Amino acid sequence: MRAEKTTIDRRSFLKAALLAGGGMILQFNWPGAIAAAAENNPTESAPFTLNSYIKIHPDGKVTLFNPNPEFGQNVKTSLPMILAEELDVSWDHVQVEQADFFPERFERQFTGGSQSIRRAWPVLRTAGATARQMLILAAAQHWAVSADEITTDAGILYHKKSDQKLSYGDIASAAALIPLPKNVKLKAIADFKIIGSSKRNVEIDNIVTGKPLFTSDYKKEGMLIAMIVHPASFGREITAIDDKAVRQMPGIKEVFIMEPVLKDYKKNGFDVFTYEQVAVIVGNTTWEVMQAKKKLILQLSSPTGNTRNGKPDFLESTARHYADMEHHSTLPAEVKRRDGDPESAFKKAARIIERTYTAPFLVHNTMEPVSCFADVRADHAELYAPIQAPEFITTTLSARLGLPKEKIKINLARMGGGFGLRAYGHHVIEAAVISQKIKAPVKLMYTREDEATYGIYRPSYSATYRAALDENNQLIGFHIKAGGIPETPLHENRFPAGAIDNYLAEAWAIPSAITIGAFRAPRSNFIASAEQSFLDELAFEMKKDPLDFRLELLKRAKEKPVGQRNDYDADRYAGVIQLLKDKAAILARPAGTGRGMAAYFCHNTYAAVMVDIGMKNNEPYVKQALATLDCGIVINKDAAINMAEGALIDGIGNALYGEQLFMDGVPLKSNFNTYRMIRMNEAPEKIEVHFVENQDNPTGMGEPLFPPTFAAVANALFDYTGKRYYKQPFVKQYLDENKSPVI
Amino acid sequence: MELYKEKRPLGKIRFTVTLSVIALFIIGFVSAFSDETNYAANEEIYATVKKDSIKSVEAFKKVYAVLQSPRCVNCHPSGDIPLQGDDSRLHAMFPKRGVDGKGILTMKCTNCHQTENTAGLKTPPGSPEWHLPSATMKMVFQGRSAHELAKQLVDLKQNGNKDLKALIAHADDGLVKWGWTPGEGRTLPPISHAEFKEAWITWLTTGAYAPTQQGLDGSNLKN
Amino acid sequence: MNSIRINKKKYTVNVDSEMPLLWFLRDHVGLTGTKYGCGVAQCGACVVHLDGEAVRSCVTKMKRAIGKEVITIEGLSEHGDHPLQLAWKDVDVPQCGYCHAGQIMSAAVLLRERLDPTDQDIDDAMTGNICRCGTYSRIRKAIHHAAELQKQKG
Repeated sequence: MRAEKTTIDRRSFLKAALLAGGGMILQFNWPGAIAAAAENNPTESAPFTLNSYIKIHPDGKVTLFNPNPEFGQNVKTSLPMILAEELDVSWDHVQVEQADFFPERFERQFTGGSQSIRRAWPVLRTAGATARQMLILAAAQHWAVSADEITTDAGILYHKKSDQKLSYGDIASAAALIPLPKNVKLKAIADFKIIGSSKRNVEIDNIVTGKPLFTSDYKKEGMLIAMIVHPASFGREITAIDDKAVRQMPGIKEVFIMEPVLKDYKKNGFDVFTYEQVAVIVGNTTWEVMQAKKKLILQLSSPTGNTRNGKPDFLESTARHYADMEHHSTLPAEVKRRDGDPESAFKKAARIIERTYTAPFLVHNTMEPVSCFADVRADHAELYAPIQAPEFITTTLSARLGLPKEKIKINLARMGGGFGLRAYGHHVIEAAVISQKIKAPVKLMYTREDEATYGIYRPSYSATYRAALDENNQLIGFHIKAGGIPETPLHENRFPAGAIDNYLAEAWAIPSAITIGAFRAPRSNFIASAEQSFLDELAFEMKKDPLDFRLELLKRAKEKPVGQRNDYDADRYAGVIQLLKDKAAILARPAGTGRGMAAYFCHNTYAAVMVDIGMKNNEPYVKQALATLDCGIVINKDAAINMAEGALIDGIGNALYGEQLFMDGVPLKSNFNTYRMIRMNEAPEKIEVHFVENQDNPTGMGEPLFPPTFAAVANALFDYTGKRYYKQPFVKQYLDENKSPVI
Repeated sequence: MELYKEKRPLGKIRFTVTLSVIALFIIGFVSAFSDETNYAANEEIYATVKKDSIKSVEAFKKVYAVLQSPRCVNCHPSGDIPLQGDDSRLHAMFPKRGVDGKGILTMKCTNCHQTENTAGLKTPPGSPEWHLPSATMKMVFQGRSAHELAKQLVDLKQNGNKDLKALIAHADDGLVKWGWTPGEGRTLPPISHAEFKEAWITWLTTGAYAPTQQGLDGSNLKN
Repeated sequence: MNSIRINKKKYTVNVDSEMPLLWFLRDHVGLTGTKYGCGVAQCGACVVHLDGEAVRSCVTKMKRAIGKEVITIEGLSEHGDHPLQLAWKDVDVPQCGYCHAGQIMSAAVLLRERLDPTDQDIDDAMTGNICRCGTYSRIRKAIHHAAELQKQKG
């Protein structure tokens, strides 16, 4: 077994300190924060200022801090498992706490892009191993023996020769004074005891008993409730409000128009503000403000789009979106990659297969509508924020409030879902600006409708695939032309690029006033659905087994790759498909179902899916699903399976039912009564998840299984109905084509 | 491209009034009462009945149009799951009728449906005693022809043993009347409640004649 | 009397009787385990027991709840050991966790009415509760497991 040495970023260094009352804390410090840390000498401070990764208490209990925001992907359990493994403590002695946003002490506090585990892996292993080494060195001094002779197990240090032992708690205070060791040896993978096992969600007791965990549950003495009212139509702005009726209503304190960001502020990529201004109502209780909202009258401008801001000067509608996308697919587009001579290949082709795939805008529909608590004072601010990317919002917040970053404390509350939406912190800014203006602590609450109609959607996309086949039915050319509103989903260097001699990838985009954002790999989840449906149909037309066809292409990509920039490892990609093939062969297809498969690689993890589709209540549903994944070392097995099951069900639901529609700029679906969500009776009765076993560094689980699920559903629908599904959501097409008898 | 209507053909009934009207002139009429026992139960009311097949069938045309409107048919489904919306699609989350018509387990009608409509578009409508017909008296409207429905409405075995008096009274049932105050965003039945009530009583008190089905039991003329 | 019993404790109701029970629980009593998800009885995050029925508190006005007995997730069991709570832990059901109070409160009525629920019973009872993270297969498993625990408990 290889022992893996990991070093952390050179700019950073670890720092150990005594805890008040004994014990030790191991923390990271980052340049620029040294002064602040010195001011804040941990040996003399109250424990709450000591947020960092590891705290060892005199009684041997260990507190581990989860640096990343939690919204259901279980980082609060899985990241501390990495620390506990290298620290070599018993999981039973561990308690986990959520770290506040503290960039000086934590390397990366961003949850998104399936990167939490991958990016934290070297950092947390080093932190755990360093603390363990310091405990060993302290024990060596205490016993006056060589450190090499000391072993550890479950929070106990042993010197077997002299038959002595000490608990970590006994020696932690001494360990805190040991100079930080360098190049600490990490555990061999074969010695892992915690990593690879299944540890229960550390928050489970609180969840099942309804303890306040979420921002919307937070309450502070004197806190007021605020809600926003935003324009009902994308592309229009508030010009005036009529608040006469609102001001008369019980419990209402303030009504005003607010600018979340000032016009000259240079926004970062996560500063998505759909409207320049929103109206605000502040009152005593949620219900009172909700009632008042209904009485507020907004006056709106005409469409604000023009040639300068590049947005449409008309109000957008879904019919026009699709017509425009259809038109754009016929226009010349930007060439992003060209291998060989695709034009000639298509010219001499004996047969050309061309298919176009489309998908609507999607709404995240996180279960918890967004909220944010802010208490902004003259010289400091405290927030409880559901936010995936605190580091980005802090910059904007600091500029908008006119407070230095270090005077803004952000408590990272558990989020009731994120799926990419909570990377965008407009609510954080709004809450803080409201609190600053009204000079009181405030909790901003969005209604379901406010959130579902605010935007930051998964874009609407279209992709046209063409394949050139020669007279022997062999693939000689491949062309993808993909675009969307307002961005292209194209990833020109992904499979099957690299496997085909003559390859052309083109991109286009149509501007829009509708805001978009991350959505469980937005471009990938569409392009995977299109690509993997097309490859399935292509294999069918070429009379090949669909998985063998993919394996054949991957073999070519490995042995004689075309081009240099192919974004995948052909071996690992083939491995996850082969595992799916093997597992599918022994999983019987239930009678009366159709089977479809797909695979994809994105966000560093390889994923493959098989679904069996049957009928329930006169509609297609997935009766059984199988997934295989290669995400390297699996940290928390059962939690990883849970994530995989969730990604599958989410993918099935969005593929079958998900869509937002527009008329005159107005998003038409604002709640679950019109926006159909997958429910218990539509979820698979059986799900199997298998991991490729290897010792590669761990990668993420949030995104990768979601994208190929859409295509597996489309391919199974073909197997079941004999018809290809090109337009999402698929249930719509099914119902249009299959007039159901009355039941 | 019809992108704005949530189109779901499921459960959509296309009633062909014209067909029944044509049928009625070609073939003649048949009383919906299979026998006259239900009249006999209420001599007083029976005395008011003046048989008039043409008037009766004309009145039932109006009654039928109301009963086939989504406001009525949605809670008189052919299956055990109610319908919803003006397109009479299956009710989201598939609540089941249950023995008493009031739902089962966690999905009792009144767990969501209050005694009054909930404010807002596409929110749960409400009325005291919100329910479906019971499992023993399903009184299906969905998919029933005018002929079938007319016979079924007055059949004691199928109508919960409602005699003429009870049938007349049913026009003023709270849940029936809710159909005319269904809340924001729901279309009303084609005629007013007063017109419906008048047509309903006329139909019943002129012999409750059923429009015949073309080519079916036209010869089954009893009156 | 304008009083209501919540988790076996009596409260005087001095709010607008049009206010939904959900907001009385969350803003006035301080019981935040019951969640706001949609406000229109579509998602089930707000399910509580009103005289034993799994009502959606977001559309249940105070005027209906007054004089009745309410049980919320906080009062489902004294020590967090209702068979469903134990099963939820054993199966490690949640992801984000937001919908689970409502899921458990719905499942509690199911389990009271069906000692050994079938998959069909679970579909019939739980289809009103949305889980956006997609933990449905675990919820199903946990309900079956809870039925076993309930039997063992006797």
